[in-house]
Amino acid sequence: MLSRLVLRAAPAALRALPPPPVAVGVLHATRQLHTTKQSLAPVPPLPEKGGEVRHGLIPEEFFQFLYPKTGVTGPYMLGTGLLLYFLSKEIYVVNHETVAAACILTVIIYAVKRFGADVAAFADKLNEDKMAQAAAVKNEAMEALQKAIEQEKKEQWRVEGRTYLFDAKRNNVAMLLETNYRERMMMVYNEVKKRLDYQVAMQNLRREKEQGHMIEWVEKNVVQSITPQQQKESIAKCILDLKALSKGAQAAV
Amino acid sequence: MAGRRAALRAVDWAAFSERVPPNQRPMFNALKTRSDTLTARLAALPEKPPAIDWAYYKAHVAKAGMVDEFQKKFSALKVPEPVDTESAKIDAQEKEAARSTAEYIQASKARIAQYEQQLQKFKNMIPFEQMTFEDLHDAFPETKLDKEKYPYWPHKPIADL
Repeated sequence: MLSRLVLRAAPAALRALPPPPVAVGVLHATRQLHTTKQSLAPVPPLPEKGGEVRHGLIPEEFFQFLYPKTGVTGPYMLGTGLLLYFLSKEIYVVNHETVAAACILTVIIYAVKRFGADVAAFADKLNEDKMAQAAAVKNEAMEALQKAIEQEKKEQWRVEGRTYLFDAKRNNVAMLLETNYRERMMMVYNEVKKRLDYQVAMQNLRREKEQGHMIEWVEKNVVQSITPQQQKESIAKCILDLKALSKGAQAAV
Repeated sequence: MAGRRAALRAVDWAAFSERVPPNQRPMFNALKTRSDTLTARLAALPEKPPAIDWAYYKAHVAKAGMVDEFQKKFSALKVPEPVDTESAKIDAQEKEAARSTAEYIQASKARIAQYEQQLQKFKNMIPFEQMTFEDLHDAFPETKLDKEKYPYWPHKPIADL
């Protein structure tokens, strides 16, 4: 009944309110949001491990909270007392579900104690592998960029050497021109020398031939002019000379 | 070209060889062998031809005016210098090379700037252990799943899985 009263009063109360603001943007005027500037700092990393826990259930802060007043055994006393109170007053009734709960909890706790560490290590390893792969990709990319930068710098250094090329080319051209000029000079010299030498050689040859021919001709004529009479006389004279010589020679020996 | 004796600039072949990129090495070798051949040829020729002994020829050649005529014509003869047709081309090539190298260096510098920028981005990235998926999509936009184009899971073509 009271609820019906509230329901009937609601529209009247609503109408009594000031009319809602016209534009949605004006809603900011009624309640200030984002008063401080957006913080651009990176989000701090999440802690590696959760809060400390005793017996897998009760946070350590509870024990620390009770320590000043009750010392070390305080929470345990509280726990035992509470448990006995619930059992004795039958606030917690022991029935078949209690047994089931005990068995299930035993198995669970045994399994966690025995396999917990291994499963945790396995899961961590999966994550580690993903992280390592991502890190490897990133490192490779960074190295590739470094190498690329170095390559570009080296290519720029290489390009600076183009002056050598053009010097070499100009040298080649100059050498070619000089060689050509010298060859031409040598050719001129050789040709002139050849012609002069030819003249000299021709002259010498002609002179030799003339001499030889003259000697032959003179010999021929002389031989022709020797008559038989002259020959007999010359032979007799020769024999007389030889006799004289032989006499002289015998005396000497 | 004015002088016959254009001075030969000493080319440091060792430094030149260092700067040659490996894919242009055959060209460099060809140039070097050509240069060496030319140097050898030049060294083999004497700078001036030996002088002709006019007195000897005057004494021995019988023909009257021949030696004198030769001598006169020989001393009057000017051997024409070979015309230099290539230097202009070389200069043009050099200008062209200067221009293209300036362009290349500029492009190269732009590339280096780009690489530096990417390198900085990688260096400033937070470690992967502290990233959320949103951070990952910010750092590597290519990992972001396009939920408008592919509204249904897995938000990318099956072939890309």
